[in-house]
Amino acid sequence: MPLPLAINKPLELTFTADDTVALQGDLDATVPAKVWDKLLKRPASASSASIAPSKSLTLDLSGLTVLDLNGAAQLLWLKSIFEKKEMTVSIKDVPENFSPIWDLACRTLAPRAPLPSKDTLIETVGHHFSDFFKDMTALIAFLGEVIANFILLIPHPLKVRWKTTLAITEKAVVNALPVTALVAFLVGLILAFQAAMFMKLFGVDIFVADLVGLSIIRELGTLLTAIVLTGRSGSAFSAELGAMKINQEIDAFLTMGLSPTRDLALPRVIALTLATPLLTILADFAGLLGGNVVMITRGYPVSVFWTELSGHLSTSDLGTGLFKSLVFGFTVAAIGCQRGLATGSGPGAVGEATTKGVVTNIVVLATLDSVFAVLFYVLNW
Amino acid sequence: MSSTGENAPKEFVYPVEVEKLDVGYPEQRVLLEKISFKVAPGEIVGLLGPSGCGKSTLLRHLVGLEPIKSGQIRLFGQDLWAGGGVHIDSLRRKFGIMYQGGALFGNLNLIENVAMPLKEFSNLPQGAIMVAARLKLSLVGLEGFEHHLPSSLSGGMQKRAAIARALSLEPKLLFLDEPSAGLDPVTSAGLDGLIVTLARNLNLAFVIVTHELGSIMTTIDRAILFDKEKKGIVAEGTPDFLANHSETLEAKAFFRRGSNNSRTTHA
Repeated sequence: MPLPLAINKPLELTFTADDTVALQGDLDATVPAKVWDKLLKRPASASSASIAPSKSLTLDLSGLTVLDLNGAAQLLWLKSIFEKKEMTVSIKDVPENFSPIWDLACRTLAPRAPLPSKDTLIETVGHHFSDFFKDMTALIAFLGEVIANFILLIPHPLKVRWKTTLAITEKAVVNALPVTALVAFLVGLILAFQAAMFMKLFGVDIFVADLVGLSIIRELGTLLTAIVLTGRSGSAFSAELGAMKINQEIDAFLTMGLSPTRDLALPRVIALTLATPLLTILADFAGLLGGNVVMITRGYPVSVFWTELSGHLSTSDLGTGLFKSLVFGFTVAAIGCQRGLATGSGPGAVGEATTKGVVTNIVVLATLDSVFAVLFYVLNW
Repeated sequence: MSSTGENAPKEFVYPVEVEKLDVGYPEQRVLLEKISFKVAPGEIVGLLGPSGCGKSTLLRHLVGLEPIKSGQIRLFGQDLWAGGGVHIDSLRRKFGIMYQGGALFGNLNLIENVAMPLKEFSNLPQGAIMVAARLKLSLVGLEGFEHHLPSSLSGGMQKRAAIARALSLEPKLLFLDEPSAGLDPVTSAGLDGLIVTLARNLNLAFVIVTHELGSIMTTIDRAILFDKEKKGIVAEGTPDFLANHSETLEAKAFFRRGSNNSRTTHA
């Protein structure tokens, strides 16, 4: 709780005859709002002791012991309120030592400029839609730019910054191995446990192996890996590139004739695109291991789980999962980089870019996964 | 050397009194030893010296951000470091500070930035607070920019807005850290003019840490020159006196560039 300002001489209002109010004491930031209530909420029909309501009011400042700009602002505020009620307010007997301050305040404060009008609901919705489409256009254009840059570099593979790419692979993917494996293992474990409880009732808990295997390899292993990479690496890309934008390093790249897309984004995109399938294989294995642990606790030997699994899983299951992980790796890196490079200005811009990167990635991943599910069903893969 | 506080009333409390102060961070070497000076009401005092001599650390001591090693700082007659946090907080209401980059709150527009101290510390009606904030912004030449975010303004405008915020609680003392840094000469001259206007019209005392010779010559009433080697005040007086009549080597070295510049200009 902040300390209140120290008051020396509290401001007092004295209502005198002839529509005059005498102000005595300190007129500064220490005045409590309730002091003015006496003046603003005076009764419509005043008693003989107080001022009679009329079209004019005089504020007598001769008793003021302090008047500063905050005090002058209060007088100007009162004047504007009474003038809205079509009353004239005059100020009289400003003490000589305070008249420079009062003159300065009156001179400085120009008539109030009209506030910018707020948008209507339709305008607000329209602006949001327009911003959304602009945002999506920029995102798609960037994805195209990344792909074009990649294609252009195919005949010149040595021009790719492989050293940077390997360093990014280590930082963004290899270092993500433990967390990805742990998450996938626990999800496999939970999935198997929940399924086994129910399937036991029908005596078909052997099929838990198939359920876990198909779910992990076709869907969950891929999706979990992509989500972990979004939170861990995609956001880091947004923050890194956003900080570079704020520090004008991106401007320096452009003015040197270099391409931030080719030199900054592409190594990140290549690193994540190529390494995500490998990380997904590890996540798949960890997930299956989780399922296997549950099966062991329910009395099935290790070999039963793997035999059951190999009987029902095909290479297309593994292929579709890995294909998706390739696309997801590309998406996570490209969106992370685009959000970073599109960072605005101001202290919160990097944080905002990172948040936007993560949110966009999660929405795009979920959408793409649904599209792939339908596509693979139609293609019978 | 000019006497301090020519514009000050006959009886007054010094806004700043520094006595035998050792300047430096804890556990580190002393940058300035046993320095003493005063700032009178309405006076614009410049703290000058080469980089690393301890000016900015002194400023942090003066505003209560860095504990002192030894000596005394009195603001408006009260010992700044005599009490705890509550005591320092109560004294902080009596001065304003403008940081080098402005340090405006990026998520608030200008009028909200300026109104914030009044909203926090006063019980004024909301309407009066807004009029007061608008008044301060108009005073620094930013009328019409009330609803702009700091990021949409130039460096000079941000510094003006930072001065308006520092004036929010009507202090009688303002600390400015490198007000001209990073500004073009025209904007810098405009800011210098604003500082002088505020000092004269509101009888505000200013303590300014600066390197800009142009600003020093046109703005400052009294300059205090520190030296890194001698760890203390080596010269004190009006900028004109220090530039043209001081026999101190450090003063000659500091102001030489200005003299050379002026010769080049006239040539």
